[in-house]
Amino acid sequence: MTTQTLIEITINGISRGAVYALVALGYTMVYGVLGMINFAHGEIFMIGMFACVYALGIFANAWGDQVLLNLGLAIAVAMIFSAAYGYANERIAYRRLRKAHVLAPLTSAIGISTFLQYFIFLTVSRDTVNFPRYYSDYLTSHHVHIGPAEITYLQLAILGLTLVIMAGLFYLINCTRLGIALRATAQDQLMASLVGIPVNRIIAFTFILGSALAAIAGVMVSMYDNVLVFDAGYRVGLKAFTAAILGGIGNVPGAVLGALILGLTEALTTLQFGSQWNDVTTFVVLMLVLLLRPRGLLGERVADKV
Amino acid sequence: MGRGGLHRNVRKLSLLLILGVLFTAGVVLTGCQKGQNAAPTTIKIGLAGAQTGSDGQIGLSMLNGSKIAIDEWNAKGGLLGKQIEPVILDDEASGQKAVTVAQSLIDAGVAAVIGHFNSGCTIPASRHYNDAKIVEISPGSTNPTYTEQGFPYAFRICGRDDQQGVIIAAFLHDQLKVNKIAILDDKTTYGEGLANVVEKEFKAKGGTVVMSQGIGKDDRDFRANLAVVKGSGAEAFVWGGMYGQGGPLCVQLRQAGLTIPFVSDDGCQDQAFLDTVGGKAQNVYLSFGKDFNTIPAAQPFLIKYKETFGREVGAYSVYGYDAANVLFTAIEKAQSTDADKVAAVMKGQPFDTVMGRIEFDSKGDLKEAGYVIWTVKDDKLQVLPSGP
Repeated sequence: MTTQTLIEITINGISRGAVYALVALGYTMVYGVLGMINFAHGEIFMIGMFACVYALGIFANAWGDQVLLNLGLAIAVAMIFSAAYGYANERIAYRRLRKAHVLAPLTSAIGISTFLQYFIFLTVSRDTVNFPRYYSDYLTSHHVHIGPAEITYLQLAILGLTLVIMAGLFYLINCTRLGIALRATAQDQLMASLVGIPVNRIIAFTFILGSALAAIAGVMVSMYDNVLVFDAGYRVGLKAFTAAILGGIGNVPGAVLGALILGLTEALTTLQFGSQWNDVTTFVVLMLVLLLRPRGLLGERVADKV
Repeated sequence: MGRGGLHRNVRKLSLLLILGVLFTAGVVLTGCQKGQNAAPTTIKIGLAGAQTGSDGQIGLSMLNGSKIAIDEWNAKGGLLGKQIEPVILDDEASGQKAVTVAQSLIDAGVAAVIGHFNSGCTIPASRHYNDAKIVEISPGSTNPTYTEQGFPYAFRICGRDDQQGVIIAAFLHDQLKVNKIAILDDKTTYGEGLANVVEKEFKAKGGTVVMSQGIGKDDRDFRANLAVVKGSGAEAFVWGGMYGQGGPLCVQLRQAGLTIPFVSDDGCQDQAFLDTVGGKAQNVYLSFGKDFNTIPAAQPFLIKYKETFGREVGAYSVYGYDAANVLFTAIEKAQSTDADKVAAVMKGQPFDTVMGRIEFDSKGDLKEAGYVIWTVKDDKLQVLPSGP
């Protein structure tokens, strides 16, 4: 094994972890506020992918191939689409179940997840759709050298975006008035509403923000993988969920840490044992962490610690 | 417990009695209905395969091929003087679901089954068809195990992976003249089975396999595997799996700066694969059957398919069409839908299909698989001219 391979594996592991982190942030935010696992989050992510690619096609037909303009607008469209779906999910599938038994919203979320997958499968595309490489070529073909290995601009962008979004969310939750309202809602919805916090709007905002972030993740991942498909949200969603648990669900920096560990574990497993062992090592790591730190690496829901 | 309690008990008892009577009546009624159906006016044929999930498109195009054959036979007056009634079920490319589908088809009283598509579905389902004495003919399952179970009613109208793997290994060794290869598969019955054959055959020819790994069927980030490939000094890369992953894998291979040959299988023989890798892709090779686009006998079918379904045929549409035609011809010749008689006819004589004359051996496999190597050239998947 050469150093070059080792560095490349590390870079790939961190990039993969950053991809998981982008999705895990949405999981963990909804959990942090509602104490509920939104299993449809992976599908919101997938809808972001499709919205972006279709928007790119429409813009390219409307006024030609302006890379930056089209890409920027398409990301905005994807965020709006995903946010709309996320908000609709909250209104339709979760709001009425907020006071129900904990299994009710969970089941509802799994139902929504399956529904959205097959809705896209039947109405949009049964096959893989290609991300137009014209828009990602610049990012995938330029790289920075790290010793004998190289890291593409796209990998750097994904990693940078993850860290920026993590910092932004951390600031939003801990240093703004909105964040105080979020944390109050997380602690006790009744008490929060008694002191004048519009709980319903705060929760809707959480879903909208989480879904818009999922759309950004969707765009980055469809560039990274080159293709999008109706079940793309399933696996990434599962991995992101695992990452969120690993880092301590509800905890924003924890989700990123968990995701990076997960990505690195998978990459190193591929190097050492072969990728067929990925799921085994991933869940061994998860089990060990949970045995030693049952609330995840950085502890659960930030709000509880206040 | 007083009188009230006793009263309630009596009411419960009578309720139970009424339910019991209703249930018995239901059983008798349905029994009668079954009796009335004793002389059906149609022959039911099961069409089973993946219609949803990531193999949904290629599976559906296979079933659509069979549907055209059924329509043609029905227009000609049907089979044994009866109309053919297709019973179409989706196994979602899942082995567990395939068993449920098999059971439903058996319960529906199908005379024979065309399907399934994925080897991981065909193999578990075949046991049930065999127990129920139903002929099964798969247009697309290439894993050898299917016909190695000793089932007299199991057939396939495509090659086997031990034939396909031999062709791939020979191509790598003799034509590309490489000595070190890296193999990745999708851990399915089909992909892993094929990868194992390629590995064995390539080693038998004196080559070295420097990497052999599997990856989950819905993974689409292969960069860690490719870093290992890069470090291993492989001179060619082999993918055992479907186009949904093969396409992005091939693109990521090139993005990682590896220009070595990308060699794959019939699972990548799909327009979607070509769309992903692009028409200018270099050094991409796939094994598949003969090119039906250049066979004159296949042209009417190709045109009819496009007219009926509004899109080009899938890789296995022609196989679905041929499978149905062979099956119906055999039933017509046997003058019966009895599995023993139909199987005897199928194994006893050659059949003319749009892909040419075919013959089954005693296991139900094709005597000649006819695998050839394809490549990407001029924005199309084309048969590679033979010779170096």
